[in-house]
Amino acid sequence: MIELKNIEKYYANKGVKSYILRHVTTTIKQGEFVSIMGPSGAGKSTLLNILGMLEEPTYGTYEFMGENVTSLNERKRIELYRNHIGFVFQAYHLIDEMTVYENIEAPLLYKKVGSAERASRIANLLDRFNIVAKKDLFPNQLSGGQQQLVGIARALAAQPSIILADEPTGNLQSAQAEEIMQLFQKLNKEDGITIIQVTHSEKNAEYGNRILHIADGVVKGDVQV
Amino acid sequence: MFKLNLKIAWRNLWKNKVYAAINIGGLALGLTAFVLMLLYINHEESFDSWSPDLKNVYQIREKHDFFTPDNKEHWQDAVDSRMAALVKENIPQAIAVTRVDQEWDWNSGYSVKVEHADPVMIQKVKDADSSFFSVFDHQFIQGNTETALKSPKSIVLKESIALKLFGTTKVLGKTLKLVIWRNDPGQQLTVTGVVKEPQTPQTVGFNAIVRTGEKDKDPDNITAKHYCQVYAKMYGDLDSVSLNKTLQQVYVKAKKASFAKQKINYNDYYKDGKKPGLRALQLSEVHANPAIQLSWKDKLKPIVGISIFLLLVSVINFVNLATAQSVNRAKEVGVKKVLGSNKHQLLTQFLLESALQSVVALFLCVVLVEVVLPAFNQHFNVTLSFWHNPRLLLMIFELVMLFFIVTLLAGFYPSWVLSNYNPVSVLKGNYANGLKGTAIRNVLVVFQFVISVTFIIAIGVMYQQTKYVSNKDLGFDKGNLINIRTNYEEKFAERLRKIPGVKYIATTTQVMGNAFNIPEEITYKDNNIALNTVTVSMDALQALGVKIMQGRIFAKEYKQDTVNAVVINESAAKLIDKNPVGKLYDVKSNKEKYTFQIVGVIKDYHNEGFDKAVLPTIYKVTHLGGMSTTNNVLVRFDSENSAQIIRKIEAEWKVAYPNYPMSYVTMNDSLNKVLEENNRFMNMIVLFSTISVSLSLLGLFALSTFVAKRRTKEVAVRKVLGAANYEIIHLLNRSFLILVIIANVISWPIAYILIKKWLDAFAYRIDMPVLPFIVATVVSITIAILTVSIQAKRAATMDPVTALKYE
Repeated sequence: MIELKNIEKYYANKGVKSYILRHVTTTIKQGEFVSIMGPSGAGKSTLLNILGMLEEPTYGTYEFMGENVTSLNERKRIELYRNHIGFVFQAYHLIDEMTVYENIEAPLLYKKVGSAERASRIANLLDRFNIVAKKDLFPNQLSGGQQQLVGIARALAAQPSIILADEPTGNLQSAQAEEIMQLFQKLNKEDGITIIQVTHSEKNAEYGNRILHIADGVVKGDVQV
Repeated sequence: MFKLNLKIAWRNLWKNKVYAAINIGGLALGLTAFVLMLLYINHEESFDSWSPDLKNVYQIREKHDFFTPDNKEHWQDAVDSRMAALVKENIPQAIAVTRVDQEWDWNSGYSVKVEHADPVMIQKVKDADSSFFSVFDHQFIQGNTETALKSPKSIVLKESIALKLFGTTKVLGKTLKLVIWRNDPGQQLTVTGVVKEPQTPQTVGFNAIVRTGEKDKDPDNITAKHYCQVYAKMYGDLDSVSLNKTLQQVYVKAKKASFAKQKINYNDYYKDGKKPGLRALQLSEVHANPAIQLSWKDKLKPIVGISIFLLLVSVINFVNLATAQSVNRAKEVGVKKVLGSNKHQLLTQFLLESALQSVVALFLCVVLVEVVLPAFNQHFNVTLSFWHNPRLLLMIFELVMLFFIVTLLAGFYPSWVLSNYNPVSVLKGNYANGLKGTAIRNVLVVFQFVISVTFIIAIGVMYQQTKYVSNKDLGFDKGNLINIRTNYEEKFAERLRKIPGVKYIATTTQVMGNAFNIPEEITYKDNNIALNTVTVSMDALQALGVKIMQGRIFAKEYKQDTVNAVVINESAAKLIDKNPVGKLYDVKSNKEKYTFQIVGVIKDYHNEGFDKAVLPTIYKVTHLGGMSTTNNVLVRFDSENSAQIIRKIEAEWKVAYPNYPMSYVTMNDSLNKVLEENNRFMNMIVLFSTISVSLSLLGLFALSTFVAKRRTKEVAVRKVLGAANYEIIHLLNRSFLILVIIANVISWPIAYILIKKWLDAFAYRIDMPVLPFIVATVVSITIAILTVSIQAKRAATMDPVTALKYE
């Protein structure tokens, strides 16, 4: 599904190149649950951003579902966001002015899903995550764990084939974090959704089936769990 | 999607109630001023558009120097009545040509008496010849175009006047008595028609059109002229250039023939740049191009400028607040972008938000317009209405256009900035890098303050000039002096002189409120000097209370005064001789020569607005070399208790002229009328600048709030490092202070140029003062510091822990 070849990312500052990523080459197959681990500043988030096409690599090629997406025009990229990629953020990044229901609805609107289909998908998600009672509340009326649940529901609404999660439990207490990770595992196993997450915690990484260790921009280890 | 965006927009407004209120309220104010101006322009534009037929109607204008305020040649709409025949005979396309009375400002109307009722004064009763309604296609309720003015001694009334006089519009065949001046025995007129008030205002407005028969013929004596307005209706579309060329040729030919009969040398008459001229002006152009006064377009120019600036100030507030607020919206943009929203969709969303605010502002503005319209109408002496506007559809179209323009102006830039945010930097929480537009915001703040500071300076200078003018020595004593609008008659004057408390009864052709200038060329020591002549009665100068500079003024004791003595004013003395008393000069007229002796010099006295210099003038009592009269009877009282004396004068009047009511004006009122226009202008500037300054300050207040919020972390860090509160306040103030100072520096030359132009229009003016400039700078800086400090203090006194923890 994902094919990275020799990805490099650096910033040139006064003629000195400071590398964030060096020679990253890897393949991620459909249905894998990959955790990217490493110390702060190792380049985990940059790698995830490149995978999410939020940043472009300075060098190397990136193939997503057999298509070269190394540098993509906006229209194509948005097309991928609408249909294939779901994001989950550490700080949830729900839209404060929208209710739970509307937050989940937003990606469907961009995807131009019909209103009946929309209603049924959202109802399904609300039900599945046990947040039906919360649908008319605003994000700031929810706990962190609940907000992250809404964040994941939103990412799933468009029925993506891959979820990119940047420290999804970083702001949560351990009980809530566990709940979220179990959810991810379930999504991966039952629905076959490919998940790539960045995490600090060994424990969270265990939920996946593959761990990429990164240090100083270089992949140091690739372990199947 | 649209619904959701609208919902989010609404929630956002609600969340930031105060800023939304500042945005919307400010915009509503700016829009209100602009819409009022639009209404006014529409009103002026609608002149003479009440019938499609009017596009073939032309006003005839002649170039002459008779009756002009500066004694110079102008294209005038008061033309020799002979022009009507001239046009009719020489222009084949002329279907109908009509002569009608010119409208004079000071004419208080004619007295109309319907049997058994008291006489009433009715304004705008105009004498015309039989063709009037063939040219102006008015809609008859009673009677018709053909029969209305067929026979002399007929009158056609406007609907409202028929109702006022008779209580009904079925008045055909009824008679009334028209008294044109107080000694007029009056004439019996038969009502032959009633016309409807047209939908739009008219250049040739009237309450009644009379055919007395006077306008049917031109004077027999070739040297005599009747001045009136001439309108012609042409057949089909005409090329106005060739029409005017023909008119000019015909006119020159006719002038030459006329001069030949009068034994005047054509080339002698038209010298020194004087030129003959006759042309036709399409009726639709007439209102925008008045003969002598400033056209409404020129008068409106400063107001248009001011209201556009006001609108800009409020739009700038909008833009600044929206971009400053964008910090709070950045996350939303970032998230939406990764959810699959494209730039176009985001742009639409943010534009929708500004559209929502514009709509609310527009509704508020319509309400505000309704509220202030009565005051506006009274102030500008117009009858504008929004809902009952004949051009309501056009107005609504203009409002919709305005809505789009304002939305785009206010919304486009912030929307563009917002939709351009890079999702990565925003989602990483790194807002500062995502923030753009600080430079533009600073430029806009400077621009806003340039407008405000210029306004403040303008108010200062205008205030000083107004004070100077109202305290200026007029050259005559305006207290205890009234002017009765009537012809001077010795017998009546004698009767008034017997009333106790009346000091002088006199007449002059030159007094504030009604000055009638007759140019004359004198020969003094072989020099030809152009002067203005004024005919006065023996004690007119005493009645006015003028100051004598040299020699004496007229008095009964001097027999010479009724023979060839003249008094001149200081301006004339400057042209003639420094010590003119006793000197002689000649006036040549019709090959005869009259010699006058100057017996005194008086100080210039004002008889027009302060924008016009007092003309060099000769005052004479003698009829030698011709004289003139106009409707002025000056009454000087010797006590303050004028009300009682005026009552006695009115009693005398009733005995002498029972068919004609008396009308008079006090000199104080005449002066106020002269000052009125400037005071009105000044009031408006004060109002607009107050709004502009408060809008700018509101904007600054809101902006400083956001900036303080944005720099929370910086402030917290500085406090942890040991900065004192006042240092923090100073830090936040500094950035704004620099902007306000730059604005001041920019506005000084702008204000200087604009104000100099304004002052230059006055013949009597103050020198450019420095004080308003300094005051404006001090005031603007002080208020700006106070405004920003309120926010800065809040930021400075905040507990740094909260800020740092949050980050």
